[in-house]
Amino acid sequence: MTRPHPGDSLPLRMNREFAAYPFKPKRYDARLPSAAASGETRSAAVVIVGGGIVGLATALGLANHGVASVVIEADDGVCVGSRAICFSRRTLEIADRLGILPALAERGLPWTGGRSFYRDVEVLRFAMPHDASQRLPPMVNLQQFYMEQFLLDAAERRASLIDIRWQTRVTEIVGRGDGVELALETPLGRYRLRSQWLVGCDGARSAVRDAAGLKLQGTSYEGRYVIADILLRSDRPVERLAWFDPPSNPGSTLLMHRQPHDIWRIDYQLRDDEDAQAAVEPRNVIPRIDSHLRMIGERPDWAPIWVSLYKANALTLERYRQGRMLLAGDAAHLLPIFGVRGANSGFEDADNLAWKLALVVKGLADESLLDSYSEERVFAAHENLRFALKSTVFLSPPSHGFVLMRRAVLVLAPAQPWVRSLINPRQTQAIAYAHSSLNQDASAASGFSAGPAPGAIAAEAPMTLFADGAARPGHLTELVQPAFTALYFTAGDLPGSFAGLERRLQDAAIPFRFVPVLSGQLPLAARPHAIDSGHAAFAAYDARPGTLYLLRPDGHVLARWHEAAAADVERAITRTLRPPGPSKERS
Amino acid sequence: MNEAELDEIYTELCQAVTACGHEAAPELLARFALLAMHEIDDTAALRRLIATAAGRDADRSTARAGGAPEPRR
Repeated sequence: MTRPHPGDSLPLRMNREFAAYPFKPKRYDARLPSAAASGETRSAAVVIVGGGIVGLATALGLANHGVASVVIEADDGVCVGSRAICFSRRTLEIADRLGILPALAERGLPWTGGRSFYRDVEVLRFAMPHDASQRLPPMVNLQQFYMEQFLLDAAERRASLIDIRWQTRVTEIVGRGDGVELALETPLGRYRLRSQWLVGCDGARSAVRDAAGLKLQGTSYEGRYVIADILLRSDRPVERLAWFDPPSNPGSTLLMHRQPHDIWRIDYQLRDDEDAQAAVEPRNVIPRIDSHLRMIGERPDWAPIWVSLYKANALTLERYRQGRMLLAGDAAHLLPIFGVRGANSGFEDADNLAWKLALVVKGLADESLLDSYSEERVFAAHENLRFALKSTVFLSPPSHGFVLMRRAVLVLAPAQPWVRSLINPRQTQAIAYAHSSLNQDASAASGFSAGPAPGAIAAEAPMTLFADGAARPGHLTELVQPAFTALYFTAGDLPGSFAGLERRLQDAAIPFRFVPVLSGQLPLAARPHAIDSGHAAFAAYDARPGTLYLLRPDGHVLARWHEAAAADVERAITRTLRPPGPSKERS
Repeated sequence: MNEAELDEIYTELCQAVTACGHEAAPELLARFALLAMHEIDDTAALRRLIATAAGRDADRSTARAGGAPEPRR
């Protein structure tokens, strides 16, 4: 779930009845860069404002390409409170490339589906796409503070490339022709910082967004939800649970999610006539949660931890780039929490932006490549909004027509399976950039009967991976690295022209990996490769010997050919980095 | 009709019901039912649909959940 809008978050003071999160964030001191005492302006290639999920993921993504960044964070450590808790398979793939998958796998709770009830009758049982070919679960529940701490730990391991400035506030942002200048304030003093590129990951009330002169557009919804985290010992499985009009809370909609450490998230909808301030007071929250837990047979000795109020926003900027400033995450879009697209789309923003910005900073790509970040992620935000709004409208019917029809759906659902798709919460999935201007060689790509088309993410398949002289069972998405990756499906032949291509791209310092995917066991030299002995990847990609899928560093397909030539691959990469035609928005 | 189409047409009907106002909603749905009867053009199927909508052939849990009218004795 996305973090609630800061203005709507009303954390309660702890009292006797409240428990604490089992997590103590590390605290970090403010620091002045050595030469800043004199007020001297320092400079950095990339400054990221905001050290939350999106800011840290962007910094780690840049570091994967060897690009350094300075992260400016107003707080003194990671957030606490009831924020995002559900992280998607796509987020886990990205997190793997950022080096934090083992920590997530150890701490997070995987799940695959859920159930919905009308009053006390089950009306829907849903499963997210999942099968034996998958490496990662469709969803993992984990508190945002853990996610941020894992990202932070990874960033600290790369301290030579990621410089985090805690307790540092941005007081002014001035655009310059070839960059941006920031005025920064810390408890130790002020200084100015110059940067070629500025990435705003500074949340719903983004200062970077204001400085760029961009405005969020869209709708705010009337339906209000109380969001509570509670401590409850329960043996219930990890799944998404929803109740419409439950006897415990007549007229309301109530959602329940399990988190690690016996913490449960309970969201419930307020009636239109309820006062928001009163609604988050313990005397009003506790009886409603208690009533529900009693209804479902849970034990009475639970304790509240955190309560806040949420109102759905469905807003996005129409572009995420303004000259040398880029926006990502909640600074760029605010999505309704239903369907868990907030933090997950922030990860996808960071993943999309990092490789493009890195290649621009290194001089390997025209800066117009960054326009494709805006194009693709604005498109994704609109897709996310479309799906999230359907969930929101069903959970909080906005008018009497939706109320009446929803009741009909819920009444019919137990006996009419076809109607249940309307109740399905439509959990987040990776968005395919089907019409991206980066997609290459559309005509060659259309001759496939299966497999990810250009713009889609790489499909999963189990395979044997060979690297550094050793074999291990693995999966195709592990082959996605911070480089363009050519997956060359073959029975064993490796045309010599690809060796030449590798050399040319290597000489040009363009990150590129050529990975043969073999249909049978054939000894290959030292080169990393994969064996698809079960033919799963060949089938999933509609591949035959000679088929090549070219993946971007974020794992989206750039192009595919049934009969690939090295020249095709080279042209696709060149056109991505140096698009033909006039470059737009040269500052 | 696939799931996306069902979703789309469901939303359009919700919007139409909202647009006609609270009072007129049953009339809109009655007109819609008549027009659908004409399109379906199958008396056996229509009898089944009427019984289902009235909660007469639904199982006990459906009737209870929906507060649908008790079957006539």
